[in-house]
Amino acid sequence: MQLLANALIAGSLAALIAGGLSLVYGTLGVFNLALGQMVLIGGYVTWWLHQSLGLPLVLSIVGGLAAGATISWLTFEIFVEPFWRRHRFLPLVTTIALSMILDGLILLVFEERPRAILPGLKDTFEVFGARVSIEQIILIVLTLLILTGFAYVLHSTPLGRRVRAIVQHPHAAMSMGVPAPQLNRIIFILSGVLAACGGIYQGIDQNLSPTLAFPITIKAYAAIIAGGKGHFWGAIICAYAIALLEQLVVGVPWFGGEYIAAGYQQTVALAVIILFLLWKPSGIFGFRSRAA
Amino acid sequence: MSFLFHVLTACSLHLFGILGLNLIFGKGKLLHFGLGATSIGVAYPLWVLHTQYNFPFVVSSLITLASVVLMTTLFTWLSIRLHADAFGVMTIALHLMFLAIVLNWQTVTRGALGIPQIPRGILPSDPQGFALVVMGVAALWVLFIVLVDRSRIGRALTALAEHPWHGESLGIRRWLVYFVAFFIAIFGVYIGDTFFPPFLHLLSPTDFNFPLTILFVMIIVAGKPGSVWGCVVATFLLTFLKEGLRFISLPADLLGPVRLIMFGLILFAAVWWRRDVLFPQQRSV
Repeated sequence: MQLLANALIAGSLAALIAGGLSLVYGTLGVFNLALGQMVLIGGYVTWWLHQSLGLPLVLSIVGGLAAGATISWLTFEIFVEPFWRRHRFLPLVTTIALSMILDGLILLVFEERPRAILPGLKDTFEVFGARVSIEQIILIVLTLLILTGFAYVLHSTPLGRRVRAIVQHPHAAMSMGVPAPQLNRIIFILSGVLAACGGIYQGIDQNLSPTLAFPITIKAYAAIIAGGKGHFWGAIICAYAIALLEQLVVGVPWFGGEYIAAGYQQTVALAVIILFLLWKPSGIFGFRSRAA
Repeated sequence: MSFLFHVLTACSLHLFGILGLNLIFGKGKLLHFGLGATSIGVAYPLWVLHTQYNFPFVVSSLITLASVVLMTTLFTWLSIRLHADAFGVMTIALHLMFLAIVLNWQTVTRGALGIPQIPRGILPSDPQGFALVVMGVAALWVLFIVLVDRSRIGRALTALAEHPWHGESLGIRRWLVYFVAFFIAIFGVYIGDTFFPPFLHLLSPTDFNFPLTILFVMIIVAGKPGSVWGCVVATFLLTFLKEGLRFISLPADLLGPVRLIMFGLILFAAVWWRRDVLFPQQRSV
């Protein structure tokens, strides 16, 4: 039960990030490899506002989300928009450059040591046999609310229909009067806000550290690829599945009662994803496309 | 003078990996960011077996060659099965996996401490002699890559990069071409890793971090993707720039971040400059 609770906590962070990104991939068809750094900036700005400037937590969180939105807007305007129409793989390289720049800035401004938005031990209580803190419960519920809101907007509103039209066929959608460029920009900024949300989540539940950026990015994209690229629910299901897999790797005795060291947690999860993709490259919910 | 020989050695050592990556990424347009994974996959078997388990160098080299073939197979398989962008992301995932194994399997690899006292064996112990040997081998490697570039494999890679379906319909066997290209690239890494740890007398996981792959990608983009001589020139220029930063009087905790920012900006500028040739555009009449 504790493993399931841990998976739900870790999966909520990954699902928030992967959900926004799958929309970006669906509409633009680009990968943003500076995503992990955007996650961290959201968390670090919240930490700085709350711990250094002493602002109330809610105000600090709003500041962190605003920082995420600003960074993702600038990323779209400078590192994605001028490139993706020429070739959709170009932003993959430009966002690697951005990830290096942001890594350097994070190290300069926030230094290498771990930072916690709410430092100290948190009070835990038992729910269905698993020990969780009130912060974790709030974060899980908030994630579910945000994802439900997303689902509602995507499936039951005119805005959602326009977004789905762009995902299905951008040119046809534009010919029907859907403002694809503006919606692309909005979706990209929204994915940045969700990434910042993930960073704040990470900073409240555990610690923020510059070394987290790349593993966060790769795990989020592993979820998107394994879920079927551009498939919103596939990405979210896979994000939770990867988190559960990581918990099972270290939480269950394997090979005659031996536990696997925590350091191998993400290695095993990524290895399983790679093996799965070798078997089914289109992912769980993806459609098989013709290949040479 | 010793700095000059140090940088010349570093440039030559970089060339083994860069020219192989140029074949895959620059010419073949495969988004291979798993150079660090391949480097770990050859350096650790070679030097762990030789120094920690006292295998003769020839035996550990042969076992490492088997590792080269295995990794070639894995990367080729992934490149055939996955879409190009998914392949790029998964090669980074492989790098993270290999790095985690090296850092956590401490009884064998000594984790973050690395393995000290890597012997130079028959290689010269003085910096000048070592630099000359490495430069000589690197020159041979450049010539070999030029030959590969002009060979049937080079032309097949270009054709597949431009249009895989048309390439296959013309009788180019994609898996074979990719297998050969990956084998050459990983074999280049293998040669580089035969020299690099003895050069430092240390096998350290910090030498296999992601920024090194990015440096190589940046050199390829700056030197013109697919161009062997362009990459050679860019290797020397950017390695001199990177190593020359040591002379800027900045505290050690600032130098790392400043270097990251500077190289990120250079990579962005290089992509901006090469944005029309980095990936193939559909030809039109």
